[in-house]
Amino acid sequence: MRTKFSGILTLFLAFIVQFTFAQEKTVSGTVTDDKGLPLPGVNVIIKNTANGTQTDFDGNYSITANKGAVLSFSYVGFQVIDKVVGDGDTVNAQLAPSAAELEEVVITGQGSGISRRKLSTTVDFLTADEVDKLPSNQIDQLLQSTTPSAQIRLSSGQPGTAAIIRTRGAISASSSATPVVIIDGVRVDNLNSNPQLGLATGGADVSALADIPVESIEKIEYIKGGAATTLYGADAANGVIQIITKKGTSGKARFSYEARVGVIKATDDYLWYERTGEALFKPGLSIEHKIGINGGNEKVTYNFAGSLYADDSFNLLNEQVRRNLSFGLGAQVNDKLRYQGSFSYVGFESNLDYNANTSLSRFSAFEGGGRGNLDELTDAQWQAELARSNAIGEEVSINNTVNRLTNSNKFIYDFTDNIQANATIGVDTRTQVQEENQTNAFQIATGSIAAGTADQAVLNRLIRNAFTVTGDLNFTHRGRIDNFEFVTVLGGQFFRSTDRQYQTSGSGGVDGTNDLGLFPTQTTDDFFLENANYGIYFLENIGIYDVAFLEFGARLDQNTQAGDDTDPLLLPKIGITYNISDHDFYYDSGISKVLSTVKLRANYGEATNFAQAFSEDRTFALNPFLGGPSFTFNNPGNPDLVSETVITTEYGIELGFFQDRINLSGTRYVATTEDALFTPPALPSSGQLDQIKNIGEIKNEGWEFALSADVIKTEKHALNINASYNINDNIVVSTGGAPAFNVGGFNVIGAWVEEGQSLGYLRGTSSVRQADGTFAQTANAALGDTFAPNFGSFGFNYTWNNKLNIFMTGDYQFGGKIVDLSFLLRHLRGVDDTGIPADLIGTTSPFNYVNFFTFDNDFIKIRNIGASYSFGDALGLFNDLKVGFTVTNPFNFGIDGQFDPETTGSGIGNQNGFGSGGFAYGTESAPRIYMTSLRFQF
Amino acid sequence: MKKISIYILAIGLLIGCTDNLKDATDFTSVTNPNLDEAAILGKENSATIWLTGLQRQTANVLNEAVMLAELGSDNYVNTQTFFDQFLDALEIRTDDPEIEDVQFQIARLRVMAKFGLESVGPADPAYDAATEASFNFFEGLSYLYAAMYFSALPQEEGGAVVSDIDNYASAIASFDAAIAADPQPQYHLAKARANYYLGNQAEAVAEATAAIGLDDDFLFSIEFDELNLPANTFESALYERATFDDLQPLPTLDFLDPKYSFVDPNVDPSIHIFKAEEAYLILAEAALADNNVAGARTNLTSLLTVVGTREVREVDDSIEGRPDASSAFASRPKTADVVVNGRPGLVLDRQAGDVMIPSVSGTSLVQGDVDAITAANDAALILLHRTRQEIFIAEGLRFADMGVKLVVHQNEFNQNPNISEGDPSTIAVIPSFIDAVKEDLDEITYTEGATTASTTVDLNVLLVQNKTSSQVLPFH
Repeated sequence: MRTKFSGILTLFLAFIVQFTFAQEKTVSGTVTDDKGLPLPGVNVIIKNTANGTQTDFDGNYSITANKGAVLSFSYVGFQVIDKVVGDGDTVNAQLAPSAAELEEVVITGQGSGISRRKLSTTVDFLTADEVDKLPSNQIDQLLQSTTPSAQIRLSSGQPGTAAIIRTRGAISASSSATPVVIIDGVRVDNLNSNPQLGLATGGADVSALADIPVESIEKIEYIKGGAATTLYGADAANGVIQIITKKGTSGKARFSYEARVGVIKATDDYLWYERTGEALFKPGLSIEHKIGINGGNEKVTYNFAGSLYADDSFNLLNEQVRRNLSFGLGAQVNDKLRYQGSFSYVGFESNLDYNANTSLSRFSAFEGGGRGNLDELTDAQWQAELARSNAIGEEVSINNTVNRLTNSNKFIYDFTDNIQANATIGVDTRTQVQEENQTNAFQIATGSIAAGTADQAVLNRLIRNAFTVTGDLNFTHRGRIDNFEFVTVLGGQFFRSTDRQYQTSGSGGVDGTNDLGLFPTQTTDDFFLENANYGIYFLENIGIYDVAFLEFGARLDQNTQAGDDTDPLLLPKIGITYNISDHDFYYDSGISKVLSTVKLRANYGEATNFAQAFSEDRTFALNPFLGGPSFTFNNPGNPDLVSETVITTEYGIELGFFQDRINLSGTRYVATTEDALFTPPALPSSGQLDQIKNIGEIKNEGWEFALSADVIKTEKHALNINASYNINDNIVVSTGGAPAFNVGGFNVIGAWVEEGQSLGYLRGTSSVRQADGTFAQTANAALGDTFAPNFGSFGFNYTWNNKLNIFMTGDYQFGGKIVDLSFLLRHLRGVDDTGIPADLIGTTSPFNYVNFFTFDNDFIKIRNIGASYSFGDALGLFNDLKVGFTVTNPFNFGIDGQFDPETTGSGIGNQNGFGSGGFAYGTESAPRIYMTSLRFQF
Repeated sequence: MKKISIYILAIGLLIGCTDNLKDATDFTSVTNPNLDEAAILGKENSATIWLTGLQRQTANVLNEAVMLAELGSDNYVNTQTFFDQFLDALEIRTDDPEIEDVQFQIARLRVMAKFGLESVGPADPAYDAATEASFNFFEGLSYLYAAMYFSALPQEEGGAVVSDIDNYASAIASFDAAIAADPQPQYHLAKARANYYLGNQAEAVAEATAAIGLDDDFLFSIEFDELNLPANTFESALYERATFDDLQPLPTLDFLDPKYSFVDPNVDPSIHIFKAEEAYLILAEAALADNNVAGARTNLTSLLTVVGTREVREVDDSIEGRPDASSAFASRPKTADVVVNGRPGLVLDRQAGDVMIPSVSGTSLVQGDVDAITAANDAALILLHRTRQEIFIAEGLRFADMGVKLVVHQNEFNQNPNISEGDPSTIAVIPSFIDAVKEDLDEITYTEGATTASTTVDLNVLLVQNKTSSQVLPFH
């Protein structure tokens, strides 16, 4: 208290002194970087005052200051320098890059962060600038095509739906491949599937990924699993997405405003019938306003951002609204303690159309031949279909509302220069309300009930509340003995999550109300999951002559899902990094002029995924039946249940050429999922439900290559291109004696788990013509991998004079297979025999030649093309005026069947279940969006 | 000084965390809402609740078995549903997941009944003879369904298969136990049915007689819960069709469709698994087998009397298409003037107002037909089996009458050391005379707008022609 008071007193006195003896004059100057290029946006503050300004676009500033005052120049990524105002009126400054910039600090793992060059694992980044220029508001879409080794596949164009995300292949047959999402150290709800009690809208389910707050992002780190995620324990085997938000930068308050206006248009690239688009699609508008305030002083910095977004989608039905508020705070509490806090609110409202695997879906009905061959309908027939479709569309009522609050508090305490403690505690709470009203009018329009019926309306409402609390306390020690540097981290972490779902249904109702109390008959269902996960961890990173780094550590991990007969899991990791090019001899040799960076790395690490809460218990069910209670068996139980462990060995090389203008990265990984959690079919004769068990083994091995090249790098022009190529070979090594089992798709053609095949491979009966002209049927034939084993991204970024920016991102995949279920249905309904031998049709069930409905899922898609121009201060009133234009999803290449190989909407129906993909059916592709933006500061 | 105060504060917090604040700071305790065994065993009236669970489980069995059996029979054609992809063409495969579901649900009925008998009942202070009889009955029912639909099924988890004959015998033993504790007509009729399919005519007659002796128009039904499930899947298929599912009856059975229709938001229509009609049909068939024409006529007359007392529902079936509008399949008879196989009055016009549909038993048999039976000949047998088909439509018996048997699913034989692929239990049983026409079982000849239609096969004729086969008409 005494310190604080004296601090205030000092400030006050300084102010008085300044006020009393001020001899003000206008000081101006130019701030440049180490290469002499002007730096716009540098904070220039008069030390010990709240006065400050920023450099303009040409690096110029002017400020009123007294002789003798100290000007402090600060800019992210550069060292702060102080200059005293002398007799002259000009004070120029040249800023040198900060050590942090040279040694980019990665937040990954626990502890105080560690520089990238010391890491033996790879981490993909997205910086604030990259996030800001992308038009999307969804984390999955931000990462798509911008991270070199992630496979992010948009399962539907319906609002609120999200992508299936994978990196190093499918590692688990029991859970979603979705990475853990952590915002400022706090885990947030990442349920990327229909909730357990979610409404049956067909297939494209709303996802919690759609409302992860993406305002005010400083940086996104994508950590791909393996040794990099060992210390996260729990369910981090799928990787971790870390979002670090802005906490403000010191300097005068800066207000920013951005407006985005877009036109959203459905793509008809993948329609079988043009008339489907005619019936359902209509271009819509999107509008977004964003405001921000950023500033602070040496003691306290702050960042506020708010945005409002609305669109009416690409069709006649969908709409969505997003409201975001975020606030970040950094405070130097005293000379030892720092505090970083962040808070965000996301409100998200959207509505869905029925889609995919439901008879109520108009899109599936049209594309699946359920309304006949649309091309052959007469105009009159088509007008009747349009009228019917519109009548249904007007009555579809499926609404989704989400309110999410996330808070993180981080305390950093420096005991000494060498010892630091980090404590983080935070919460994420997300409430989702889904409501579906099948009115009498709707049911009459679909033909489900007779015209005139007025008492069969059905209202379903799901309320899901997901709450997660995360706590972490760790100590980092940094030390050096001669040429050895030691970073030691010791910590403990816990998180617990509670997922409460209530579904209430009312039936027998009349139209015109959403009040469940007004429905004569009501039922309620309840679902509850709660789990706690905790562990202690240790990490040692030893720097050897500052060129090689040995890292080892372990986590002792426990969770409440483990069976009674199990022990905590010990997850070790070890890695080595050798920066050969950092040797003086290498630097001095001529070769460094060509091959400027050589880094070798290798590591071994274990990471886990846990089973759903309570799946270890033997339980009984109490079902309401005919107004009374009824017992039955429920989960058979497994006291030996533990998390599955993914053991990864990784080797990599990083090469930089010509002073790192060309960077090449190559990684080889082998990841084995041991004790893999499989839910094999129980013996039918047991009469018991299937029980999840640690019986499987899955192996993923592959290569990751990434290239980034500064093709042009002059004072005015900068052109960077990037490309990546990844290979993944996935195989189910063992099912532990269990027979093959279905994990997705349909009865006749499904995604299966079977020894010797890839996880979720496509299996069905195929018919192949023999030499004698007849067809031979093969039951249970392997029809291909649902995951494309080859994939990557590519793009370029061009800037001119720091004013004009043009960029493009895209991605591709090949080598996998997908079933066009719409085609299968068209064929069953007798309206489409494309590609099927005429002498096969009619001789057997179409379900015995499903190979004819299976296609390559290859594609190349351009995700974003954008251009922006910074007018700087040229327009006077506003600073840093920037206008931009982006087109999202402009081009699609490689269309094998007439369907989108990416829209596997009918993938993940079970809560956090395995999403095999592999089935394209009945849901719209992500739309094309043409967006303009205007942004300025003042 | 400052450090000391921090230490004091930290120690104070730690003490606080370990004492009064323990609940607030224990992050490892979770709430498990699930029931364990202790919540059931030993609790008063737990046996009654377990019995309700058995009734519910029987509804699950019927949802699987009736669907497969009706699709596999000539009763219905599957023009556009995905209830099963193969059974409609009598393609019986070991990889058909619907067949696994039937097998599983039957096994679950068995293990639930046995758990009731062995664990829940004895531990319940309020356990009584009637409940014990019911547990025995449901155990017997699981063996009865196993025998009706499968040539052989295990009676234990991973056990060796038990033939249909032995499964019928096990069913009879269980039904005997039920009858001994609490005689009910449905227990006798269940035993009669087992004996009927075994060809034990005398025992079947005795039990059928005993059943109607207790109640001459009894009806034992399994109810469905529209609200909390399971709802009646077959009702969804026949009536609540939306725009996708389209089951079409053989035109000769059109007047009996939809047997199940909307009741109210709470309850779905029941499936009547044991009804007095079956006893009269068994007695009539036994009489014909014994050349007892008068006896047959008497029992068929009694049958008509009972049928006459059964509910007939007025149904708005105007959303029914023949076939459904979204189906690309050929048109079907849909007006009242269509004569099928030379018989008028079998087709209803669903667009001309509400239709009257029997919800328990309906038949085209009239007293005149009964009176016209003058000899225990094939014509009488054909008439009797046509009546069986009509009375039991949508109840899953026709499939058993056809002598067709499903197979043990691959998930069983791949894990069960006692069964191997290729064993007789893994090979479908289809009587050869049915196998020869299985593609045509649902086929009809009809031109849009015509007033006559015909079925390609009259399976009742075929069955009677092959009455000496051991697979059909067990009394012959």
